[in-house]
Amino acid sequence: MKQIFNFCAVAVFVFTMVCSCAGNPPKDEREAAESAFKDVEAAKDCAREDYLAAEELLNQAREEINNKNYDKAKELFNMVKEKSDAIAKYYREHPDECMKKKNDETGENGGNGEDGDIKESDVTSSEAVDPAADPKNPDMDFQVVHFEYNQYAVLEEDLPKIDIMAQWMMNFPERVVRIEGHADERGSNDYNLSLGEKRAAEVKNKLIQAGIDSARIKIVSYGEERPVDPASNEEAWFKNRRAEFKHEN
Amino acid sequence: MSVHFRLIAALTVIFAFFNLFAQLQVEVKDGAVADYKMAVSPLAVLGGADAGLSSEITGSIEKVLDITGYFKVLDKDSFLEKPEVAFNKVDFKSWLNVGANGLIKGSIKGKDDVELELVFYEVAGGKERLHKKYSTKAGMAKKAAYRFVAEVIKILTGEEMNFMFSKIAFIEKTGDKYNLVVTNFDGSNKKVLVSTTATVLLPEWSADGSKIYYTSHEKNNPNLYSIDLKTTRIKTVSAYDGLNVSPSAYPDNKTIALCLSKDGNSELYSLDTTTNELRRLTTNAETDTAPSVSPDGKEIVFVSNRSGNPQIYRMSLADLSKVERLTEQGNYNQDPEYSPDGKKVAFSGRDEKYQFDLFIIDLATRSIERITQNQGKNESPTFSPDSKVIGFSSNRSGKGKLFLSNVSGTKQIAVYSGEGEVMMPSWSPAETN
Repeated sequence: MKQIFNFCAVAVFVFTMVCSCAGNPPKDEREAAESAFKDVEAAKDCAREDYLAAEELLNQAREEINNKNYDKAKELFNMVKEKSDAIAKYYREHPDECMKKKNDETGENGGNGEDGDIKESDVTSSEAVDPAADPKNPDMDFQVVHFEYNQYAVLEEDLPKIDIMAQWMMNFPERVVRIEGHADERGSNDYNLSLGEKRAAEVKNKLIQAGIDSARIKIVSYGEERPVDPASNEEAWFKNRRAEFKHEN
Repeated sequence: MSVHFRLIAALTVIFAFFNLFAQLQVEVKDGAVADYKMAVSPLAVLGGADAGLSSEITGSIEKVLDITGYFKVLDKDSFLEKPEVAFNKVDFKSWLNVGANGLIKGSIKGKDDVELELVFYEVAGGKERLHKKYSTKAGMAKKAAYRFVAEVIKILTGEEMNFMFSKIAFIEKTGDKYNLVVTNFDGSNKKVLVSTTATVLLPEWSADGSKIYYTSHEKNNPNLYSIDLKTTRIKTVSAYDGLNVSPSAYPDNKTIALCLSKDGNSELYSLDTTTNELRRLTTNAETDTAPSVSPDGKEIVFVSNRSGNPQIYRMSLADLSKVERLTEQGNYNQDPEYSPDGKKVAFSGRDEKYQFDLFIIDLATRSIERITQNQGKNESPTFSPDSKVIGFSSNRSGKGKLFLSNVSGTKQIAVYSGEGEVMMPSWSPAETN
């Protein structure tokens, strides 16, 4: 739920910002900067100074946009991008150190409230990123996504899990995954094999749409053969209608 | 029907006889339960014969009669006459008194080489209708008895039945373990052909009964394999990426219809297993699966989700545009299976109580008859080679067991229940050994 809120907050913020400007704002530079900065959120504890600096630059850039100083803004956005990329590189090269730092700093939430008008920093800083669900973590736990009865559209509340999966696959381009599609026990075994396959294929399509090479995604259907809960009730059926990600290499 | 004429001639003799006549008419007309009361006297055990085999044969005769749904097999505890009474000394009054319309009596002699003698009498007239002697090995004695029963059934109903000579393949799942099992039609003589914790799914016989096709995830993809029953050699039949499932044999004994998902979604194909040549049969964004080839090889019935939920369709193989929807009621109809006589299609459908039950479509009239109701989950119907009996899995008494039913659904019995869950039964073609 937190992730969804976070995602929404950012989306609303970006939307508002984009709509509020006129003329020729540096759209590309801004997008690159915002996205690069967002990608290093997880690294903010291990590269705190750089992170805060990038954040400050980003805020300034946004301010310049508001003031219609587009050239200045463009310059600042480029700096944010550069800084964010540097943070990402550091994070990639020192994953253990970053994890350790984060654990050492439990309970500390940043709390630097000097930018009263920017709510975003509060939301992100209060959110301790669970390393198990962190797309920067090579050993990230893969989340399970669920479906309605006889449907293969991923439940809306599970879509962010696929986004995280896509980020993880972006971060580890050499990794190949297998998506296992499953059905609940109701219906014939052959039909359920097809249904499980449809579900796995749907998740695969979402990853491809997010920019992942289809060759890195295998799918397999187990139909109703591998329930996580063998009971015959709604709760069990819900759990069993699922797609799981597995390491293929 | 000559049986009728003879019976009509004898109609005035006694009331019991009239009773028998009335029942015979019902049987022959529409297959409803006729309740012909048959006494099967335990076989007399003569010189050197195995008493266990004797009672096994008696039980088998009873079971076959019972499954047809045409007979009420009488309880032997009520019988007044001893099995050892000679064939020419039968006291028909004592059999009338226990309410028998017909009597089967016999004897077995010898240990390894056995002599089996069987007689069928009409009790009311005290008339011998069939009398046979079989000399064979002990292991074949049961089969000899089945031949006799098949003839008795033919005499009384006019119907040719051979289900008793056939086998049933099914999956038994115990925990994570899948066994591919073959038994005789009555659940006896169990053989495990494949046993693995990877899946074994959807077994189906080759047209000549020499092989069984099945799908397994052994290589992390649901590939189709075949196992030869004599040599137990396993061959990969189809291993495209994605599903390779739901085979159904064409009568040519080399082509199968199956469901593949290699082109992005479940579609039907026919595959020549000798040349590996594929012919695509459906093109559809929704699921098409579970083909069953008609006995003449000219059409298939299958499941498609093209209307938004799974329904049964029929398609001409000569003209793939000729597709016809067979089921209109219910929104979850699956598992279609052509009867070997080409007249019917059995399927499982979810009813208004959200339970899966079996139905049979009469292709000539399009009427749909319900076979099971309020008896748990009933799935995977499969016809006996004579189209007289259907096998299916049912969890009506807890875990899934192998059940048989006559085609009108009036007689249903469990024939196999083991340690695990019985699933996906598939009936063999006629006589496979």
